[in-house]
Amino acid sequence: MSQATPTLSRARYALGPWARIAGLTVCALLTLGPVVWTVSTSLRTPAESFDLPPQIIPAHPSAAAYHGVFEQIDVWLLALNSTLVTALIAVGQMITAGLAGYAFARLDFRFKKPLFGLVLATMMVPLQVTIVPVFLVLKSMGLTDTLLGLIVPAFPTAFGTFLMRQYFLGMPKDLGEAAMLDGAGPWRIFRSVYAPLARPGLAIVGVLAFNYHWNEFFRPLILETSGQNYTLPLGLVSLQGNLGTGSISVVLAGVVLSMIPAVAVFVVGQRPLREGITSAGVNR
Amino acid sequence: MTDSLFSRRALLRYGAYGAGAAALAGTAASWDRLTGADIPGRDDGSLVVATLGSAFSPAGVRALVDGFRRLHPDIKVRVNAVQAVDWSDFFAKILTQIAAGTAPDLVYVATEGVQLFARHLGVPLDRWVRRDAAELREYFADVHPSLVESMMYEGSLYQLPIEFNAADMYLNTQVLRRAGAEFPAGDWTRDDFTALLRRMKKASDSHFTPYFWTNRLWGGVVPWLFANGTNLLAESKAPGGSWLWDAFYPADRRRGRGGGFRWTTPQATDDRVVEAYDYLAALVHDGLCTRPEGGNGQNLIGVFSTGRVGVTPAGGFWAGGLHLAGMRADGFDVQYFPRRHTQRHQFGAAGYALLRTSKKQDAAWEFIKYSARRDTLGKLFTTNQTTPALRSMLTADRYRETGPAHWRVFYDTLDRFPDTGPIPAPPQVAEVTQVLLKHTGTALSSPGSVGPALRRMQGDLEKAMERDV
Amino acid sequence: MTDTRISSVRPRAASPAARAVRPGARERGTRLLAAVFLAPTVVGIVIFTVVPIVGSVVLSLFHWNVIDSPGFAGTANYREVFGDTTVLVSFRNTLVFMVFAVAAQLLIALALALTLNGRMPTWLRSVFRSAFFFPLVLSAASISVVMKYLFNQDFGVVNWLIGLFGIAPVPWLTSEHGAMATVVIVYVWQQFGFSFLLFVGGLNNIPKEIHEAAALDGATGPRKHLAITLPLLSPTLLVASVVGIINALQVFEQPYVLTDGGPGDSTRTVVMVIYEKAFEQLRFGEASAVGVLLFVLIMAVTALQFRLSRRFVHYQ
Repeated sequence: MSQATPTLSRARYALGPWARIAGLTVCALLTLGPVVWTVSTSLRTPAESFDLPPQIIPAHPSAAAYHGVFEQIDVWLLALNSTLVTALIAVGQMITAGLAGYAFARLDFRFKKPLFGLVLATMMVPLQVTIVPVFLVLKSMGLTDTLLGLIVPAFPTAFGTFLMRQYFLGMPKDLGEAAMLDGAGPWRIFRSVYAPLARPGLAIVGVLAFNYHWNEFFRPLILETSGQNYTLPLGLVSLQGNLGTGSISVVLAGVVLSMIPAVAVFVVGQRPLREGITSAGVNR
Repeated sequence: MTDSLFSRRALLRYGAYGAGAAALAGTAASWDRLTGADIPGRDDGSLVVATLGSAFSPAGVRALVDGFRRLHPDIKVRVNAVQAVDWSDFFAKILTQIAAGTAPDLVYVATEGVQLFARHLGVPLDRWVRRDAAELREYFADVHPSLVESMMYEGSLYQLPIEFNAADMYLNTQVLRRAGAEFPAGDWTRDDFTALLRRMKKASDSHFTPYFWTNRLWGGVVPWLFANGTNLLAESKAPGGSWLWDAFYPADRRRGRGGGFRWTTPQATDDRVVEAYDYLAALVHDGLCTRPEGGNGQNLIGVFSTGRVGVTPAGGFWAGGLHLAGMRADGFDVQYFPRRHTQRHQFGAAGYALLRTSKKQDAAWEFIKYSARRDTLGKLFTTNQTTPALRSMLTADRYRETGPAHWRVFYDTLDRFPDTGPIPAPPQVAEVTQVLLKHTGTALSSPGSVGPALRRMQGDLEKAMERDV
Repeated sequence: MTDTRISSVRPRAASPAARAVRPGARERGTRLLAAVFLAPTVVGIVIFTVVPIVGSVVLSLFHWNVIDSPGFAGTANYREVFGDTTVLVSFRNTLVFMVFAVAAQLLIALALALTLNGRMPTWLRSVFRSAFFFPLVLSAASISVVMKYLFNQDFGVVNWLIGLFGIAPVPWLTSEHGAMATVVIVYVWQQFGFSFLLFVGGLNNIPKEIHEAAALDGATGPRKHLAITLPLLSPTLLVASVVGIINALQVFEQPYVLTDGGPGDSTRTVVMVIYEKAFEQLRFGEASAVGVLLFVLIMAVTALQFRLSRRFVHYQ
């Protein structure tokens, strides 16, 4: 991608290329360091976990901590629940944000500005303030202690709508106008002209939704009562043990296991994600 | 070129349709999962028991439910093991359910919440305890009255304690050896303690801190206040309770017992409180202990088990934790908290509280009784991550694999020091705890801060205690 | 990517004759389509956000401990909250946190994005980009647990690392300034990747011609370079700072896990106070009042940003 796009004029910095690469490498190491420490500590015995200097490559690698995780919690059920919840939320958000973002960017209607303001304003309310009323609403719908109760309220996404609006705004207006002149109605213009161009933008909404909801703790904690409905982050908590007496290696092994799907999505979705973010940043 | 492009597009489109169809099919297939319809025993009028998930293992919870079903096939029961990080998460969830009118029947409550629940939510167990006195005689004979008293509020009993943890001192035997120090005697003083820390420090390198502790209500500053013969809040006992003491405890063991604790006037600027803080500040200043971190002490197990720390306050729950962290049974040992004006210890206990909103109170009482039986607890507490409330369960066998050698200390903390008492937890406990932790943090974060911090603590405590929660 | 690139699309000449066709029907169609497209989002937001917000605004006028039925309080909760030093300190902390966290996040992201724009092999660029983005995929709570180990004063890796450079151990989590710094570091560590990618995208979208033109005018050197780049990047900067500030003002997990608000109140944030008041101290009315105040603050800051942006943001 970087080759296809015109980048800033190069070699204008006082820094030589090697100094730049060295600087970036240090930053990358600092960024990944904690993650590497987590993975390597999960492969060590608890007794070695505080060794200084930290052993990046464990002297006595052991998968015992991972066995411990599978012994102590029902990883498969928790993962199934987490997958269902996150996948459906991601798909739902792609649909709602794609449609609403398009409407805000490319369609004219009354109350557009106040409606958009309303959507944006919902980003500004901390979850902790509204969780009890949300619980009451869900109860009136019979959705407490179900996975649907986690999924449905997460369908509308202020951030996703904002992102998709920016994304559609970044597309040339002329395209739609040309199609209109060819006699296409508003739906046709969306369906055949803009929607196909929006895929990278939708990908970023999907991937960000996945990241956020895969790691979500507070909503599942409050809304889910039955153990069968727990998601992975809730299950991992029990690894910490009563009063923090759980083995650090097992706790970290749980963290690493829960990281795997997010990393997989990251790897698969990285390209569209980058491209999506790339375009969202442009506000024309 | 155009053809291949077209077919690629078509392929992509059919691929997308296929994926969409698969997603729909998947959603439909997992509909029962999404609506929770596949969970047996949901909304069928079961007795609902909420426990703090990290306290019991999943296997323990299964055994708990199965055992109850065998005993009472007519009572449907469901255990919600809430996987909360800490007490306040757990509480957030229970409160939300109460607000929505979907509260559980029984809630597992620790000392921190005993009076809060008793005052606003709980049902006294007195009438059932009286009714089933014969059945309970064995239980009470096996449980120290201090634990029972900590579950009383204004003369009534609200919970049967099934586990507890008193703050004793854990010592790393390897560090002791390195310092050439003897294992301390049971009646050691605070000065002995300080001397031991100095000795340990001298014998070790810079990556070692003799004493490490966590800034929390249980096992933080409070044990030092108890040893100084004082408390954060003035302590007295409510009248009443003799109905229980007279029925279950012999005269010598019921002496001085009342109807539960009352924690009232704040006394953070009391000379003995100030002295305890000064002592801890001096330890920090001399590099004998770290500034306390907040939180649930996750760091502690790791640094203690690897010999980076010599001494730390903990209860029976640590034996299992250290074992899990790979420590050998003889790698550590436990002794009483050092004595100063007194050798009174502090503890926290837990049991099931019955909620007023429950429509199945008789069935719930059956569960409470069942949960306190020796065989039930035997299945629940297999890993020594807590101390059973039943004295007879503390055996050499139980501690053979995990240690410590002086495991008797755990229960003797109650038996040998009958004035050992619960952490101060009035109904305003949440605010009291926050005020305590926050000003303790400030008092010890820089030299010369003890006085001002305690004065602010006193002011905040007074405000907190004025509130009717 | 190439097929979606904006530049690859050729605008067609519009014919004035075609524009006159049935404008009324088209408008109705557009409005209908807008209604259908907006329905899922707006209905969902009304049910699951607006109604609960109204609920908590109403709640802020009541005394409610969840257990007993609520009693009308008028403005008592607001008066109580304004007299509560913990609340006031938490607002100060949150603003301090926001300033440092957002500034650090934007500066680091911008510096890295600019540096990455220099000459280097494509695969290396891609490795760096992935590395900087990676922390975003982790859970804030889990990573804070890990960071608590790393930042421990006596046994943590961080103090060991700076010790290699002869720096004395820092009480990261147990001194007032250290604790705030740690919370900012851990937060920025996880969040800067998002702004970073925005900037990478923004830089890529700056047309090459502008730089060539600038070079012709004799503008060389990093400072001039920035003087040209920054205005062109300002729309991206606005998006990054708006989202960054909204998120930073709601910070919760990092201080909750790392320091529990301490030592003292030095890292207690507004959302922590809301959580503590509601779920620990059973004062839902007061918690809602603090929530309403935070909401107003965030709205005000965001509005201010958009207002300022009219002066400083340059659209091409």
